[in-house]
Amino acid sequence: MTAVKTIWPAPSVPGAGRPARARQPRPLWLLAPGVTLMAIVIGIPFGVAVVISLLDLDQYTFREWLSAPFIGLGNYIEAAQRSALPHAVWVSVSSAVLATVVAVPLGVLGALTTQDRFPGRGLVRSLYLIPYVLPAFVVGTVWRVILQPDGVANHWLGTDGALWLNGPRSYWALIVVQVWTAWPLIYLLALAGLQSIDPELHEAAALDGAGRGAKLRYVILPMLRGPISLAAIITVLHVVNAFTLPFVMFGVPSPRDVEVLPVLTYVESFQNFRFGLSAAMAVASLVLILIPLLVYLRAVRLDTGADDEGRKG
Amino acid sequence: MTARHRLIAAAAALALSSASLAACGDDAAPTDNTGKVVNVLVQANTIYPDQQRQWWADVSAKFKTLTGGATVAYETFATPNDELTKIQTSVLSGQGPDVYSLGTTFTPTAYSTGAFLELTADDWGKVGGRDKFLPATLGLSGPDAAHEVGIPFTSRPFVMAYNKDLLAAAGIEKPADSWDGLLAQAKQLTKGGTFGLAVAYADGFDPWKFIWAMAVQAGNPLVEAGTAKLTDPTVKAAYQTYLGWLATDKVVDPAAVGWKNAQAIAAFGEGKAAFLPMVSATSKVTLDKSSVAGKYAYALMPTIPPGATALPAGGIGASSILSGDNLVVAKYSKNKDLALELVKLLTSAEMQEKYYQTFGELPTGKEYAQKLQSDPALGAIVESAGKAKGTPFSGGWSQVQLALVNVVVQSVPNLAKGTVDDAALTALIAKAQTDAQAALDKAK
Repeated sequence: MTAVKTIWPAPSVPGAGRPARARQPRPLWLLAPGVTLMAIVIGIPFGVAVVISLLDLDQYTFREWLSAPFIGLGNYIEAAQRSALPHAVWVSVSSAVLATVVAVPLGVLGALTTQDRFPGRGLVRSLYLIPYVLPAFVVGTVWRVILQPDGVANHWLGTDGALWLNGPRSYWALIVVQVWTAWPLIYLLALAGLQSIDPELHEAAALDGAGRGAKLRYVILPMLRGPISLAAIITVLHVVNAFTLPFVMFGVPSPRDVEVLPVLTYVESFQNFRFGLSAAMAVASLVLILIPLLVYLRAVRLDTGADDEGRKG
Repeated sequence: MTARHRLIAAAAALALSSASLAACGDDAAPTDNTGKVVNVLVQANTIYPDQQRQWWADVSAKFKTLTGGATVAYETFATPNDELTKIQTSVLSGQGPDVYSLGTTFTPTAYSTGAFLELTADDWGKVGGRDKFLPATLGLSGPDAAHEVGIPFTSRPFVMAYNKDLLAAAGIEKPADSWDGLLAQAKQLTKGGTFGLAVAYADGFDPWKFIWAMAVQAGNPLVEAGTAKLTDPTVKAAYQTYLGWLATDKVVDPAAVGWKNAQAIAAFGEGKAAFLPMVSATSKVTLDKSSVAGKYAYALMPTIPPGATALPAGGIGASSILSGDNLVVAKYSKNKDLALELVKLLTSAEMQEKYYQTFGELPTGKEYAQKLQSDPALGAIVESAGKAKGTPFSGGWSQVQLALVNVVVQSVPNLAKGTVDDAALTALIAKAQTDAQAALDKAK
């Protein structure tokens, strides 16, 4: 089991990298092209979004947007108190977590079923990826047809005329479709994790007399912890940020049960023309998705830059 | 066409164009406009994409002759929201389309941006005079006659298609002129898998048009002097009627809760419904290819509000929203005169005739509209154009629309219970009123 611990970053040893830094200062200027690119691609648009979120910017003022009235945190207060934002955050986050919880075991199971060689494995692996390669617009349209009151879903389930695209069931419809689109990514990452497990470990486990269950429990799953956590984080972020799928499936105005954050932001911007309010919502949603991201970065220590040193230890 | 013919044709075209160039040079356009381009942004025509391409190529060729060298380049947008994004970026950068084609109900929103040319008497003169347009089509050109930005381009009034065979079999002579009468007929026609009405409850736009029409007919324009009037009993009655068709009267296919407009047209096309309200003449393309081809006709939608047998005092017998397209000229345009020249060309009787013949959209100019009035096949559509009424001209109208549709969207889950829940409906309408009023309060 010690091998398991060394693969995933161990706590860095304080000061482990210091001697090298003392001898030769790092040439930080080499970062300049990357930093410039980051500033242009991420920094400036984000800065503009923050500025807009502080303005009362709407269709009446956007022509000279910099002179739109500055209202400080007014948009944020309105978003929190008088808009559907808190409800949308709840719908987005809860559906993302539920979809991830369901999709992760499915993805791991998919990876396990195609790990060993068997005739037609390549075909099965390709089929597994179909939901992943289909554009969200196509997925949304297809499911919209399937879930119509007179569609095939009700036909198969024997729930004649049940409403899946509006009302309480729509929330579960959203989760089912999100699981359907999300699990192949988890499958891919889990498969990559499985491939990277040293065959000697399997042999060693076999020599120690471990059965399939024990091998899975004590060898394979611990080794997959990293890829699976990454997959889970990416899936949560992906579902929280999904716009096209709910937009195409449920349309606007959204039924209340599936009023997700990105669609709400879109409606405020492009149907109600409240660009300032919408920008405030966008900034709030960014903060929201930063939370799991930072937790993850912290967990795998990608934020400390001590990754390599950790591995050496 | 042989090579020789082509040569002759080319020579003739050259001779013609140089002749008209000379003519232009003599009077209207002494300046050389060679190389100048007027950019136009129009909605993508998904029914006739090839014809649209050809149409604008023809317009450009004609414009070149007319102006001594200036051409027309067009680009398309898919939805009004795409167009607003384009307007935003163009206004901020000070460059972009010179002329925009806007849906009538979107014109107030575009007007509120202040990005478009307010037409002076001189400007109207340059497009051929305000008088050349049908007065009804000017209803959404601006908040008042002194602040108009939109020049009427095409008219697409809403009407109701009905299945002549089904009505004849039930002994119904003609569609009713009141909503109550239509409901009675629809009940009579609902039997054996066929429904009285095909209505698109999940459409993003259709529902508000019904509510608006019924409210206006009852004397409530929904917005008056900057105040939303959605909590008025006329609005609730409209929702009860519209939602009741499905929930309590059961004259609509229960699957219609998931229908967009195209699915309602398809259901009618399959002969599964007797009436198809809230469609424009463009539905003709689909219906003429369907199983009801030759068996249907268009009629006016009812103009008498729910619960009434005659138009009440203060009610307006509107048959449709004022629907169609307006042309607007961007303030930042560096080719203002050329842009107005293009608008003049597009709204000329000759081009309106060609536009109608190609796309089936009605003219806005008096001259050609008068010719069309005599066509019996168009009777109901032309009549509806005359009885159409403009929606309130407010920068907040888009939000009011959204609030009206939202009431229907959130009501749909309860309809399966077979009732229109009064308390829930009242609460939803109250929320719509708050949202609508907030939007109107921001209007400047």
